[in-house]
Amino acid sequence: MSLPSDSKATRPDGDGCRPFPVKVSPNRNRALLFVVSVPLLLCVSLLLGPSGIGLPDMATSSGQAIFSLRLGRFFMGMMVGAALSTSGTVFQAILRNPLAEPYVLGVSGGAGLGAALSILVGGGLLGAVGLPLTAFFFAVLTLMAVYGIANQGGIPSVYSLILSGVIVSAICSSVIMFLVSTADIEGMHTVVWWMLGNLQPGSWAEQFVSLVIITSAIVALWVLAPALNLLTLGREMAHYQGVNAGFVTMSSLLLATLLAATAVSMGGMIGFVGLIVPHVMRALFGPDHRWLVPASAIGGGTFLVLCDSLARSVMPPIEIPVGVVTALAGGPFFLIVLRRKMKYAWTD
Amino acid sequence: MNRPALVFRGVSAGYKARPVLQGVDFSIAEGEFVSVIGPNGSGKSTMLKTATGLIRPSKGSVELFGRDVFSLKPRERASLIGVVPQKLESPMAFTVAEIVMIGRSSRGGWGGPDSSDYDSAERAMIYTNVFDLKDRLFNELSAGEQQRAALAMALAQEPRIIMLDESIAHLDINHSQEVLRILMNINREQKITVLLVSHDLNLAAQIADRLMLMERGRLVSNGSPGEVMREELLSRVYDCELRVRKDPYSGNPVVTGALDMALRRSPVQKRLHVISGGGSGIELFRRLLIEGFDVTAGVLNRLDSDAEAARALDIPCVLEQPFSPVGPEAVEEARRMVGEADGVIVGVVPFGSGNLVNLELAAEALKAGKPVWIAAGIDARDYTVDRAAAATALRLRTAGAHEWSGIHELMARLKPEAPMQQDKA
Repeated sequence: MSLPSDSKATRPDGDGCRPFPVKVSPNRNRALLFVVSVPLLLCVSLLLGPSGIGLPDMATSSGQAIFSLRLGRFFMGMMVGAALSTSGTVFQAILRNPLAEPYVLGVSGGAGLGAALSILVGGGLLGAVGLPLTAFFFAVLTLMAVYGIANQGGIPSVYSLILSGVIVSAICSSVIMFLVSTADIEGMHTVVWWMLGNLQPGSWAEQFVSLVIITSAIVALWVLAPALNLLTLGREMAHYQGVNAGFVTMSSLLLATLLAATAVSMGGMIGFVGLIVPHVMRALFGPDHRWLVPASAIGGGTFLVLCDSLARSVMPPIEIPVGVVTALAGGPFFLIVLRRKMKYAWTD
Repeated sequence: MNRPALVFRGVSAGYKARPVLQGVDFSIAEGEFVSVIGPNGSGKSTMLKTATGLIRPSKGSVELFGRDVFSLKPRERASLIGVVPQKLESPMAFTVAEIVMIGRSSRGGWGGPDSSDYDSAERAMIYTNVFDLKDRLFNELSAGEQQRAALAMALAQEPRIIMLDESIAHLDINHSQEVLRILMNINREQKITVLLVSHDLNLAAQIADRLMLMERGRLVSNGSPGEVMREELLSRVYDCELRVRKDPYSGNPVVTGALDMALRRSPVQKRLHVISGGGSGIELFRRLLIEGFDVTAGVLNRLDSDAEAARALDIPCVLEQPFSPVGPEAVEEARRMVGEADGVIVGVVPFGSGNLVNLELAAEALKAGKPVWIAAGIDARDYTVDRAAAATALRLRTAGAHEWSGIHELMARLKPEAPMQQDKA
């Protein structure tokens, strides 16, 4: 995915000057490109796997098993990717910070701590809802801590928020390390493997609960999209424009945290999806959240499914954790955003 | 009087740790242009935030078009008030048209704008002269263009009152004048009430029907610019010495600092009498005072801008009735003043039969051995019937009077060589 890099003052829209009435909707060519390429890429990802490239032989039972495995990974990737990416989009809008995303903010770390506790100590308490619930609880605590540390009166700066996110994240992972080191072998293996980030499907019940949570949270955020547009201009401006700013801020932060926590409890620590995808979607579709929220969800799912296919097929039979792939792609991307703040996605 | 747009009834408000407003009472009628002034921290912005429902008052009530602000639904509120912030910051890359369309979001549904929204946004953009910028990125506009776009966004809300929070003062003068012109048009043509919070007193007095002066959370003065812009009141509120005079063109009160006092050099114990009029003496007075001279002036007509300046600068001055020839009593007093002076300066003043006698006083001074400086080019300013002024000036020049042509040069010649002694010697 290439990013526009020339520095014209207008957003490049192909036809250059838009006649008024302004269509706030994105450029048609790009939308088309997106609509065509997403299913194509998703199909390609189904053809990739450690057993080789191409559709497995559906006549044999092992072929059917392989395909159903791939399909399971596919749905996991879509759900986790959509959740992480939508969460990043919303954090960036509400915190007015181009570097905000669940992983960098430490929300994933907090959710991870909650999930690890639930796996090692809770032992399936509350059934399928227990894991995401504990993860969500800890993620909210982490977000409050990060915001509290960064907030020195007024709105915290881009950098202080990232810095306190890194610190809180480090504390969380130390606690996880401590928990892991005191756990038994089986628990240790489960937690470590899960922490690396992988999209091995859990039980049907778990997947169903996650699907319900993720879908409803994304739909709720989509409903809030016009208010999110206004909140990017600041809380006071949103108030002046007839938005109940306090309510929208609080509920969308909670929903974004819920999405991140659910994603973490499903797939472990997968970083930078919430950073890369929203930026690319903004470059493609512009900053209107009515387009951005669904585009981020679909784009995020596709991106993670592709990363997972790559992780499974580059070094067969070894499977690289998908978190490693997204981090390898996302780390440099983070640095680029940090340096340029992205001409078309964000400006100073 | 129109019905009230905004009413504060005994409002006290502030932040958790810091109460700001204390018992503020006022009413703004629909269609008025009101400016809130006051020093930093006097509660201007807090008042605006309270008026828009951002801060809930601890006491009293805020009514907007007859309804309590806090009983309004957010969207109703946005259809009544438009706010232009100090600086609108958009971290994301919205175009100007998109920013203005955001102003319609309180009117439309979720699905987006219809044709009436586009019409309204287009009108707002044309009105504020940003239509040509509609496809530009908001962030890449100049500060003045950004403020006009923010104003267009507020106008697109079709509010009945527009509030501006220090939105103009930081702009360059060309941009601030344009925004002010737009505001006046909005106020006059669309009958939208305007509440302008400003720390620029002159700008506020120039444009507003009414000023409200805040001091430490209280409203201390509320009235026409002439009533509020009083020297002793402003000097007390701002805790520094200020001067208020009338702008010679518009008649608006203009406030300036009294920095001249600080600029003044040590006194040189010399007194100079200045003959001027019609504004020719203002800069002369000021520069002579700065250089440390004692200054007297006259004879001037009352209401002459030089007479006003002399009064403002505490310069002893002989005055004659407005538009009257200088009479014998005034001449006698001026003669006494010239007698006490160490020299006489004749400014770039036109002479007619009415004030020619002033030039005779200069001649008397020269005869008494006092140095006299006459501004060059008196021929062109001589309106006496028989060119008597030019003749007198020529006589003075031959008798030893100096000619000067620029204030800077005059000061240089007056000051360093202690010219009075030289001339006397």
